[in-house]
Amino acid sequence: MMRITTIAAAAAMSLGLAGAALAHDVEEGKGRLGKVNFANSCDTKVQGELQRAVAMLHSFWFSAGEKAFRHVLDDDATCGVAAFGIAAILMNNPLAGQGASPKAAEAAIAAIEQGRRAGAKTQRERDYIEAAAAYYADFAGRPERARQASRAQAFEALAAKYPDDDEAQIFAALYTAGTQAQSDQTFAAYLKAAAVLEKQFVKYPDHPGVAHYLIHSYDAPPIASKGLPAARKYAGIAPDAPHALHMPSHVFTRVGAWQDSVTTNRRSADIAKTDGDGAGAYHAADYMVYAQLQLGRDLDARRVLDEFKSAGGAALPQFAGPYAAVAMPARMALERGDWAAASQLPQQGTQFAFVEAITAFSRALGAARKGDVAAAELDAQMLEAQHKALLEAKNSYWATEVEIQRIAAAAWITKAKGQPDEALRLMRAAADLEDRNEKHIVTPGRVVPARELLGEMLLELKQPAAALKEFEQSQVREPNRLRGYADAAAAADAAGERDKARQHYAKLVELTREADTSLPEVARAKTYLAAK
Amino acid sequence: MRRRAGLVAVALVLLACGAAAVQSDDADDQALLADADYAGGLAALKAGDVATALKRFQSALKRFPEAANLHNELGFSYRKLGQFDKAFEHYKRALAIDPRHRAAHEYIGEAYLLVGDVPSAEKHLAALRSICLLPCAELNDLHKAIEAHRGQAMSR
Repeated sequence: MMRITTIAAAAAMSLGLAGAALAHDVEEGKGRLGKVNFANSCDTKVQGELQRAVAMLHSFWFSAGEKAFRHVLDDDATCGVAAFGIAAILMNNPLAGQGASPKAAEAAIAAIEQGRRAGAKTQRERDYIEAAAAYYADFAGRPERARQASRAQAFEALAAKYPDDDEAQIFAALYTAGTQAQSDQTFAAYLKAAAVLEKQFVKYPDHPGVAHYLIHSYDAPPIASKGLPAARKYAGIAPDAPHALHMPSHVFTRVGAWQDSVTTNRRSADIAKTDGDGAGAYHAADYMVYAQLQLGRDLDARRVLDEFKSAGGAALPQFAGPYAAVAMPARMALERGDWAAASQLPQQGTQFAFVEAITAFSRALGAARKGDVAAAELDAQMLEAQHKALLEAKNSYWATEVEIQRIAAAAWITKAKGQPDEALRLMRAAADLEDRNEKHIVTPGRVVPARELLGEMLLELKQPAAALKEFEQSQVREPNRLRGYADAAAAADAAGERDKARQHYAKLVELTREADTSLPEVARAKTYLAAK
Repeated sequence: MRRRAGLVAVALVLLACGAAAVQSDDADDQALLADADYAGGLAALKAGDVATALKRFQSALKRFPEAANLHNELGFSYRKLGQFDKAFEHYKRALAIDPRHRAAHEYIGEAYLLVGDVPSAEKHLAALRSICLLPCAELNDLHKAIEAHRGQAMSR
């Protein structure tokens, strides 16, 4: 049974839609998706599916949502506003920047025409259709950023025209956030959206879009911690929306909330496995392993590796699977400084050069750090070939990522050959380059942060004060990492900064309260804190 | 058991819809690579049909005015057609967008050689030297081209 809430009734009244069928908890029939109150004048018989479709749109469950909106139009040919939903879904993730494909744009424009012909019964509903249409205007003749700007402008106008329509406020906030440029480090668009959404979050704590878009609106390192309350809530609001299960862990990773990440990714991996979604399962597993390693739960991480060892991740066609399959064992070795294990990691033969590069880099780094220059150089040559292949494929982003690995590997080889100044020059260049290249969402973090490697090189070269500076800088970008604390504490101690060493060791001990192995770093931290 | 139809079909939703970090560079790469005009332009270039390539790249430019790779291809196409002013314009735009674009440095350097401007070519050789850090094909190729140009000039 569907319930009509007082909120929905109030919204309907204020929108002049008395008599229309309204607002629902969308918790039945097709899973729990949160509470949505999208006022409309469509037939009573499509209300349940229409509300669920809007809820799916809010959780970026695009395939199921599009089907639901199309069903609504089939069942009620006068429900023109459903065309808005189809057009919105076909825009793809409005925060990812890629936008609609030409084929999707064609389908969206057709849906908009259908919606116009269907003739939505209220001006407000017609305005929703036209706001979505603004994005697709002159689609082939404009860049995505111009389309995004038009969309934000149209939805902001819609929200201003209907100030009592909270769905309009929420969609406008989403599309405002979708105009955030990487170059704007004040995050003006994000914060403008967040200001709207925070108010809506108070009113609608169980609305999937509000919680979801709040997380996205704080998805930048300096403001990520503000997204934690919404991130912790979202999976509970829409536990049957795939995106709601895993997506919050991107924020958990940004702020180093490792237990939250383990919990949500365990659930996400299990559900993905049940559903036969191999790439999704591997992707969640990699995030889980990364979090477990930060907590010092090596046995748990090992169990996940064993669980996924023979599941064929390396051969999956979607790169999230192979990436995770290759990254997980590399993390196990590199996070623990097990250079021998790193140097022996087997190539898994995936079809992606940037995935294969993870193994080549780990092997080269491992070999160089244990002094086997010849072996390291062989793997470095492989990195060079992979870098070249990515450049030729015009895959600039991943070419840069592999270039960072290539330079870092060369730095440690150079150090192993006894040229410390040149080694430092290369390692610093790799760290600086990595700082300029945002990490990809496929990964919770690079298999080892380049700036941490720079700090380790400085520490080995007896420059602990300089090393400490690099470790602390790395912690800003990659917070709450076990190895980051251990390295920083060691550098601080060697530099004679005892208070700082104690601070870093204390954080390490706190982080590893429930560690399942006796890591030497943890034992050292406890001894240090007890002795001083 | 709750029904989860459609989940398999959205195998990559977790990724495609992940918490994207402010319009990632990879998303830009992928959007350009998926563009029919850009792909058509690359195919035409490969087939030696520079005029068609230019037309397709110009069409793609309406959608991707900030793509360094596209400007580099436009620069290359104009260079092949002997329209050096246009070639330089696009190479410079590519390098303004991505100052580390190795191919653009190499090709603009080679274009400068074609118009006899060796000092400008050398500036891009120096830029490549500082960008590559390690041996790289673009640096080697431009270096060879400059040496060859000098050799030809001396033999004249």
